[in-house]
Amino acid sequence: MTTQIPDSYHVLEFPYTRTTGPVVGPFLTALRDGKILGSRIDGKVYCPPLEYHPTTAAAVESELVEVGPSGTILSWTWVAHPTPKHPLSESFAFALIQLDGADTPLAHAVKAASSEAISTGARVTAQWREECVGAITDVYFVPEVDAEQQKIEPGEGDVIITEHLISLTISEPLHPHRRRFAEGLLEGKIIGQRSPASGKLYVPGRGYDPMERIRLDQSAEEEVADVGTVVGFTEINPVQYHGQKERKPYIRCSILLDGSDQPIQGIDIRHIGVDDFRVGMRLKAVWKAPEDRYIEDLDNRYGTIPDTVVERWDPTGEPDVEPDMLKEHTI
Amino acid sequence: MAIDAPIDVAIVATSQTPSYRHFDDTEVALIMDCVNDVITQVGMDRHDIDFTIAGSCDYLSGMPFAFVQNIDAVGAWPPVYENHVEMDAAWALNEAWIRLQHGDIKTVLVSGSGKSSPGRPREVFHLQTDPYYSAPLGLDSVSAAGIQARALIDSGKASEEDFAKVVSRSRRDALHNPNAQVAADKTVDELLAEPYFSEPLRRHDLPPISDGAAAMIISTADVANDLCDSPVWIRGIDHRMESHFLGLRDLTDSPSTRIAAENLGIHDSPIDVAELCVNYSPEEVILQNALGLPEGCLVNPSGGPLAGHPVMATGLVRVIEAAKRIAAGHAQRGLAHASSGACLQQNLLCVLEGGDV
Repeated sequence: MTTQIPDSYHVLEFPYTRTTGPVVGPFLTALRDGKILGSRIDGKVYCPPLEYHPTTAAAVESELVEVGPSGTILSWTWVAHPTPKHPLSESFAFALIQLDGADTPLAHAVKAASSEAISTGARVTAQWREECVGAITDVYFVPEVDAEQQKIEPGEGDVIITEHLISLTISEPLHPHRRRFAEGLLEGKIIGQRSPASGKLYVPGRGYDPMERIRLDQSAEEEVADVGTVVGFTEINPVQYHGQKERKPYIRCSILLDGSDQPIQGIDIRHIGVDDFRVGMRLKAVWKAPEDRYIEDLDNRYGTIPDTVVERWDPTGEPDVEPDMLKEHTI
Repeated sequence: MAIDAPIDVAIVATSQTPSYRHFDDTEVALIMDCVNDVITQVGMDRHDIDFTIAGSCDYLSGMPFAFVQNIDAVGAWPPVYENHVEMDAAWALNEAWIRLQHGDIKTVLVSGSGKSSPGRPREVFHLQTDPYYSAPLGLDSVSAAGIQARALIDSGKASEEDFAKVVSRSRRDALHNPNAQVAADKTVDELLAEPYFSEPLRRHDLPPISDGAAAMIISTADVANDLCDSPVWIRGIDHRMESHFLGLRDLTDSPSTRIAAENLGIHDSPIDVAELCVNYSPEEVILQNALGLPEGCLVNPSGGPLAGHPVMATGLVRVIEAAKRIAAGHAQRGLAHASSGACLQQNLLCVLEGGDV
C-alpha cells in the first residue's frame, strides 16, 4: 500500500490593520474620491506626501495640494511575469511617475499592451478601479492616449485604517527525517532519533541533537512506545481570529512517550473534559485502521502525531505519574 | 582613520556552507555545520564563547520565532548570552564588534542563515517596503532593481553591456569557488543574447535563489593569536541608510556607501580586494562609482552574490571571502560590503587588514 505523503506546505498570514495618521489618511481618502494629493514642504511638492521632512526627518506641517492625474515616467521596468502580489495580473510596467505639479516621483503600476508602449519620458494618466477602498491600489496608470474619462463617486467618511493581508506560501519536500517519521506513522509506528552523544531520545527527530549540537541520520532512528504521560496541557477556547478553524473548546497537550526524553507537542484531546484531564495522566494512542490512515498538515516546522493517523489518546487506567517526576519536561 | 575603536578585534575563524538551490534539511542543520566548524578551528569549548549573535529572517521560513529555533545550532543549554538581528548577519557582526569595544568580553560567535527556496523571495521582500504606499503594490526587489537599472542606463552611467560584463566576470570567477551555486564561462555577447526577465534586466542579472549559512568567531587582540595563526583585523565598520522611498533617492548613486567609505578612510592606503554585495549586476557599477576603488583591486573574486545568495548570510559571506584572501596572504587590505533593502537602500562597509595588530 502506498499512501501519498504531501510536501511540507503552510501559509503564513497576518491581517495587518494600520492607522493612517494626518497625511497618509487624507491622501488615501482623496485617492478613493478621485484625487491625488502631494505635500508641499519647503516649496517642493512630494508625492506620495510625507509626514516628515525628507532630509532632516523633522515633523512638518504638510500643506496638501492636488497633483496629477497625469505625469511623466522617469524610470521603469517591464514585469513580464507578475506574481499574485502585484496589482495587475497581465504583464505591466512598474514605473517612477512624476505627476504634474509634483517634484518627486511616485512608484506605481502602468498597464500597457507591451513594453513597446512604455518609455522614459512617456506620459501616463491615473485610472481608478471600479471599486475604491482607500488604498494605493485604487488606481493604476495607463499611457495618456489610452486614458478614459472617469467620474468617481466620493466614498463615505475618512480613511483612518488600512487593511493589508500578508500571505506567504512556504512549501518544500518534507525533510528526510520528517518523511521517515511520516512513513512510520502510516505503518502505526512512532519513530524517534536517539543521539549517540547524549543518549537522549527525541521524538520526532529533527535531524540533530540540540543539546550536543550533532547531526542525526537514519542510523539514529528507533521505534518509540505509543504510550506516555501528560506533561502539560492547556484548554483552548478558540478566539475567532483570521484563519481560525476551531469553534469548540478543546485540550492541547504534550505527551512524554515512554522511554523518550522530549515530549511530543500539539496533541489535541477532544473526548476528555478539562476537569478530568491531569498532568501525570497515562495515555495510549488509539490508531486508526491502517487503510484509514493518511498524512495531512504535517510539515517541516514542529512535528506532531496528527489525528489523521491516531484516532485519539485514551487513558490507560494506570495510576498517574507523580508530577514532580516530570518537572524536567514541563515548560 | 576616522573610526575610533579603542579595542582591536580580529576575525579568528570563518565557515560557510555551499550555496544550495535547495537544502533538503533544516536551517538549523545549515548553521550547526558552520558553528561546529568554527568552534573546532579555534579549539575552544562552546561554553567559553562569551557572546553569540545571529542574523536571519522569520518571513523567509514563514515561521514566527524561527530565529529562536535556530539557537539549537549554537547549543541552547545551559542558557547562552545571545542576541539576534532581523538583518543580514553583517549587521550581527557590526553589533558583535561594537560589543567587544565594551572591553568586558573577548570572543563572539556570529552566524547568519537563510533558506529562500521554500518561499517565493519576490513575494517576501516587498514586505520590507513602506506599508501604505509601496507594499500593497507588491513592489518587489527584482522590479525595483529593474527601475534602478533603467535609471542608470538613462543617465548614461552604464549600459546593458556593462551589466553583462559584471555577470560574465563574476560567474567566471565563481568557477573557482567551491561554494558557488551558479558558475559559468560566458561571454558578454552570449549573455546579451538572452531574453529580458524584468527589462532591462535579464535573468542572469539577478542573484540565484539560495539556501545557506555562514559563521565567524571574532575576538579581542589579546587572545587572537592564541586562537588562530593568521588573525584578520577589523579596522572599522560603518553603515548608512537612505530613504525607503525610491522616488526620494538618486537611484544611480549610493551616497550612503560614499559616506561610510569616507568615515572608514578607505582611501588612506590601497585596497587589494573588495567583496561587494552585488545582488543585481547594476549595483556593482553604482558601488564602484561610489567607492572609487583603485586600479588593480580585485572585485568579487568569489563571484559575489550573483554566484550564490544565501539571504541573511550573503553580507557576512562577503566579509568571510575578503578575510580568507587576507588570511591566505593573497591580499593585505580588504573591503567587505553588505546591503539591505531595495536598490542598495542601506549599506555597510568593513575594512580588514592582515599582519600584526
